[in-house]
Amino acid sequence: MRAALAIAAKDLRQRVRDRSAIVLAVIAPFALAAVFSVLMPSGGNEFTARYVIIDDDGGPIATAFIDGPMAALADPETGVAELVEVASEAEAREQVEAGELDAAVLIPEGFSDAVLAGGGAELTIVGNADATLGTEVARAVSTAFMDELASIRLSVAAVLHAEGGTPDPAHAAELAERAQPATAPLSLGGTLADSRQLGAATFYAASMAIFFLFFTAQFGALSLLGERRGGTLPRLVAAPIAPWTIVAGKALGSFVLAAVSMAVLVVSSTLLLGASWGDPLAVAILVLGAVVAAMGLTALITTLSRTEEQAGAWNSIAAVTLAILGGAFFPLARGPEILQQVSLLTPHSWFLRGISDLGPAGTGIETVLPSIGALFAIGLVTGAVGLARAGRLAVAR
Amino acid sequence: MVATQPSAAATVAAPILTCNGLRKRFGGRQAVDGVGFEIAQGETYGLLGPNGAGKTTTISIVCGILARDEGTVTVAGQPLDVGSTKAKGAIGYVPQDLAIYPDLTARENLNFFGRLYGMGGRDLARRVDEILAVVDLADRAKERTEHFSGGMKRRLNIGIGLLHKPRLLLLDEPTVGVDPQSRNAILESVEALGREGMAILYTTHYMEEAERLCHRVGIIDTGTIRAEGTRRELVALIGQRDKVKLTATGDLAAAARSLADFAGVADATPNDGGLELIVDDARGALPRLLQTAADAGLAVTTVEVVEPDLEAVFLHLTGRALRD
Repeated sequence: MRAALAIAAKDLRQRVRDRSAIVLAVIAPFALAAVFSVLMPSGGNEFTARYVIIDDDGGPIATAFIDGPMAALADPETGVAELVEVASEAEAREQVEAGELDAAVLIPEGFSDAVLAGGGAELTIVGNADATLGTEVARAVSTAFMDELASIRLSVAAVLHAEGGTPDPAHAAELAERAQPATAPLSLGGTLADSRQLGAATFYAASMAIFFLFFTAQFGALSLLGERRGGTLPRLVAAPIAPWTIVAGKALGSFVLAAVSMAVLVVSSTLLLGASWGDPLAVAILVLGAVVAAMGLTALITTLSRTEEQAGAWNSIAAVTLAILGGAFFPLARGPEILQQVSLLTPHSWFLRGISDLGPAGTGIETVLPSIGALFAIGLVTGAVGLARAGRLAVAR
Repeated sequence: MVATQPSAAATVAAPILTCNGLRKRFGGRQAVDGVGFEIAQGETYGLLGPNGAGKTTTISIVCGILARDEGTVTVAGQPLDVGSTKAKGAIGYVPQDLAIYPDLTARENLNFFGRLYGMGGRDLARRVDEILAVVDLADRAKERTEHFSGGMKRRLNIGIGLLHKPRLLLLDEPTVGVDPQSRNAILESVEALGREGMAILYTTHYMEEAERLCHRVGIIDTGTIRAEGTRRELVALIGQRDKVKLTATGDLAAAARSLADFAGVADATPNDGGLELIVDDARGALPRLLQTAADAGLAVTTVEVVEPDLEAVFLHLTGRALRD
């Protein structure tokens, strides 16, 4: 263990003297996060949709739908959508088709009467094919509203049935009126779109941190190849230490550098950019998970490479690709469903998801356990293979 | 392999290093094929052979950085393998390529490798100072080694191998690519270490280095030790003797007859302006040869001694020159 500490200390000394390492570990991610958060204050991962409502009914149920859940969607403080107005259904369809709107909600004439009469009432959602999430949000809100109406109707029917005799329309209307406030007000709280929102400073600080972490975390594995190129690896192996000690020292040095750089970024972005990371303990464990995942993946990639240069190139390609797929550069919510599924294979997605889930006040570590689990799983699986290969690299056979 | 009698140093002291039947194959190439030798305390043993002969592979197996296919290595009584830590502690390894960190100072390099050998605290600091003095880098101790000359780097490279006072020092072609001045300094250092009683395994393809430094030499080619022994033993193997050329005036024929009767002289032939003698040990016999020549009435003006060297031995054993 003493030898591993000596190797880690030596590596860290070399890294600190190599100014490019400090630039990659701290300066570049902080600077880019600051620039992006100023240039794109809405935050790269924020979901917003544009809807139009064509109300050909004008009745009380249609009005309740528009003033209730749809108005909540467009709330300036908590909403995720903008409601726009157009002249006609045809124009609405045209704009949806052109991608200017995410979806159009069509309320047909006679909708309220049909609901009140207990007959079949139908809302139509016309969605843009490329705005999957926007369409799904509109559909989910509409479906929830219709389900509530069905519940109210069922409740009223049950009361009337219990009372027996011929239903009195005035009494039925009174029951419906009394039942309506008792239903849960439709809220977007807890929906996917809401819980994944982050402020621009937080999003860019987190995304740049995880992006550059893949450059920082690769130092340990890369330096093993560097020792081989520089001729010092045989001297390390010839020393009276177990070969795994060399790998452990490299991993320890890499871990310390990566963890410290992430900690510096969290603190500096909080103090200087106003980022809001959330519960400190949960953030710390998420950061550790991200570090482990980055170290594992970069160790695997590096030990599959033949030279330091090749490993550097492959790690860079992996860092950029995973960052794109993981939503560190642009919001995945606007991407196709398949991309959102693929993103679950990346540490970036799980880290950003975890930080996003910590957004609402009061959320703690239990909220981000899936993200923490995924990060450590990715890191441990890839890291185990990487470490085994690193051990073989250390000893020529 | 041609068997020879080991030198006195090898038989008197217990061996620090014993290798038996070392074999190593890389793909289809047998790099080392049954190499075995011993090195006693205070003995300098040379592995002499051309590039690609198997010297570095052998030394890599001996210091435990390369896993062998077959054979055994014992260092200071401890079996050595890649994972052995106890046996490795007795070895100081100086690789052929420079094995120092350019972005660390000379002192930082020594401190780091010292810690890997379990050293620390004041003992390490004191030993580092000693080594810096030995390799003549005390005044450059705080300087990053990237600013050092090639010779300074080589000296530090050797100093790291000496840091923990090893019982066995492995030097893998330490003078390759070194300027003549630094090369001479390195050879003097190795000679001094040998005099201090350290066991040394020295690989080289320079015949003159092996002759100068090594008590015994193993001639290695294509992964096999073809012969081993002292220089004289090796030369004797190929039946060659020393040659003494005298430039002289006087009765050359009479002098040749007198000298031919001298013990250790195999032949004495007059030629144009002098005599040519074939003798067993020219250096040892030379004073008496000159006295005999003078007694025979010769006026000797020049003397040239030609001793058969290891180059000739290598050529005889392998059919090619060391630098082929």
